[in-house]
Amino acid sequence: MSTTIPPRERPRQDARPDKPAPARGRKGASGNRHSQRWLAWVFLAPTILGMGLFTLIPIVASVVLAFFRWDIISAPSFVGFNNFAEVVQDPTVRVSFLNTIVFVVVAVALQLGLALALAIMVQEKMPAWLRVFFRSAFFFPLILSAASVSIFMRYLFNEQFGVVNWLLSLVGIPAVPWLTTPGGSAAVVILVYVWQNFGFSFLLFIGGLASIPVETYEAASIDGATGWRKHLHVTLPLLSPTTLVASVMAIISALQVFDQPYVLTRGGPGDSTRTAVMVIFESAFQRLEFGQASAIGVLLTLIIMAITAAQFRLSKRFVFYQ
Amino acid sequence: MTGAINGQLRQITRRTALGALGAGIIGASVASWPRLSGTDIPGRGDNSLSIAILGTAADAAARQRAIDAFSSLHPDIKVKVQAIQAVDWKDFFTKILTMVAAGTPPDVVYVATEGAQLFAEKLAHPLDEYIRRDAADMREFFSDVHPSLVEAFMYKGSLYQLPMDWNAANMYYNTAAFAEAGLDRPADDWTHLDFRNNLAAMRKARPSDFTPYYWTNRLFGGVVPWLYANDTSFLKETRSTGGDWLWDGFYASDPSRSLRSGGYQWLEPNANDDRVFESFDYLRGLVKDGLGVRPEEGGGNSLVGLFASNRIGTTPAGGYWVQGLHEAGMAEDGFDVQFFPRWKTQRHQFGTAGYAMMKTAKDKDAAWEWIKFSSSREAMELIFPNPATTPARRSMVNEKLYAGKGPAHWKVFYDTLDRFPTTGPIPAPPQQAAVETALMKNVSLAVSGDEQQLKQALASMQRDLEIALRRQP
Repeated sequence: MSTTIPPRERPRQDARPDKPAPARGRKGASGNRHSQRWLAWVFLAPTILGMGLFTLIPIVASVVLAFFRWDIISAPSFVGFNNFAEVVQDPTVRVSFLNTIVFVVVAVALQLGLALALAIMVQEKMPAWLRVFFRSAFFFPLILSAASVSIFMRYLFNEQFGVVNWLLSLVGIPAVPWLTTPGGSAAVVILVYVWQNFGFSFLLFIGGLASIPVETYEAASIDGATGWRKHLHVTLPLLSPTTLVASVMAIISALQVFDQPYVLTRGGPGDSTRTAVMVIFESAFQRLEFGQASAIGVLLTLIIMAITAAQFRLSKRFVFYQ
Repeated sequence: MTGAINGQLRQITRRTALGALGAGIIGASVASWPRLSGTDIPGRGDNSLSIAILGTAADAAARQRAIDAFSSLHPDIKVKVQAIQAVDWKDFFTKILTMVAAGTPPDVVYVATEGAQLFAEKLAHPLDEYIRRDAADMREFFSDVHPSLVEAFMYKGSLYQLPMDWNAANMYYNTAAFAEAGLDRPADDWTHLDFRNNLAAMRKARPSDFTPYYWTNRLFGGVVPWLYANDTSFLKETRSTGGDWLWDGFYASDPSRSLRSGGYQWLEPNANDDRVFESFDYLRGLVKDGLGVRPEEGGGNSLVGLFASNRIGTTPAGGYWVQGLHEAGMAEDGFDVQFFPRWKTQRHQFGTAGYAMMKTAKDKDAAWEWIKFSSSREAMELIFPNPATTPARRSMVNEKLYAGKGPAHWKVFYDTLDRFPTTGPIPAPPQQAAVETALMKNVSLAVSGDEQQLKQALASMQRDLEIALRRQP
């Protein structure tokens, strides 16, 4: 630990000689360090307090609640691992987890693929003014409320009176039951989710692309690489750190999908678009089984942690840092 | 200015003094800034009677005239109405439960049939003692309200709410679409087969951009009216004993007295009943033949607009639809209403709503005074000035209410109860939210595929309902 007195704390050189400077030995330095530490805690306190109150305590409470039966109104009763046992046996919960996994795989692949393709296109093929326009345009859906977007999309995809089917009818395609068949509703939920979320990955990729040195491409060109080969052998490897971050964020976000399926399909038809977070909501606020909802939440958290850990482990092999 | 630290006096610098002064000014500004505090939460901080209703601030404001009238009668009782916005009743009840958990429950809540038994079981205080005490005042109310509506709020022999408004699932039809298809107004006792024939005629007359039968996937007005008409339901319906104090006291001479009980009970699923299959199969046939839509879950937001724009031939709805159609620009002779078609019976489905007094109400006598006042004709006329719902009082469902708005046969609304006294409420046990989810999630699949898919969907519904009802209160 350094004992140097910081410049701000040094005695002023122009201090009046008749007024001796206060003693600044080891005791003074330690007092300063003490006050600095105190000041640091003061600045950190709001964040620590907020995190504690609104993140840490709810997490702990949620884990504890998973071992109780509680309906908000009556006093909670301890049930041990019963909630976990019931959750595992509940076919709706099992289907919803499976749906969530399928959703994550398809939606994240589409989201990242689309974002990357558009980022390359915008970065390479567009003039500067158009680039600015598209960066904003692709990001715009992300700032909209997911519920509002979903309500609007629900009208667009209505089987009888929706604009989408009207457009299809112009080219002779019969009305598609978008929201009332398992396949159609899953497709719409994924489509709406990807449309609204790919803008964030797009911006990350734009940033990543800008950080790749032009010289690398020039070197690749000299070596004879052109077109997609240049992207395959230069862009993708150099973009891998960005891809890792984008995929971790996209997967965590997709694992928590709720708004789109809830508003568009309410999880139906059947359980075809029911997701893990929807089941948490239904258990807690519809069935008033808060303990069971917490148990599902704990399981989902463990899955998210496992996937994220696996991603970082795999990243050691596939991510290339310059 | 000096301060003592570690026993030594330390001189306070000009910077410190200015900093302290600045902090003081900021602190004083923040402290004096007008802001919300705990006492602004209705019912907290003063002795006001806190009343929660489903709706917007405009709905709360619309009750102001009723509050003023109440205040002039009871100047000692302060009333605060809190409008809670929600997608549907299920969502509204969730928010009330959150308020209960937060320790700020309202004293009185406007509760529809969907939540009546949840509240009766866990949250509400029975009104029996107050009704007995003020029997003389209440006699006029009960004489004006059909007992079916009252029975919907009986639970295990006690009455928890007084019905204020209600709606049955009648059948609305577009008069122009009927005329175009060469159809007359259906007979009062038209059957489900007549109904299907009418749909086919309308489909023939208007092959595109038109739906002969539009229905929604909800607990009210979805598949349930068809189940009721076919003398079945997706839950086994039983009645509890008790309640004679009310029926003998106020409805002794009513022709349907013998039908009344201590309240409905829905304890077991019934989705595997043959008649449930038959009803779903009928609806599946309508969808398959392009006569009816495949219902979306929770759909219905665009229904009024579509009906008013003459793109729907028929749809089940109650008296609450009249004001909406009027505001959407539909002429009073552009639509009409008829009883729901007969199958094995012509039992209808209805939903009703009224104020429930919470167990936690600070001043239960004041809460009762509000509930009693709200049930008076004077208050109900202030609260229901237009046909945005059907008032529970028979005398208020009159020509004046529907003048200039239609429908021509508005009498169908209250006649539903008088003509079909077995007409019953939405099946809503205390586990209503889970039951509704179990029903809704399987309806679309049941009516969208082949017979095998229908059987699978009903088996799934049975299983989901068993889970929903596994814990009886």
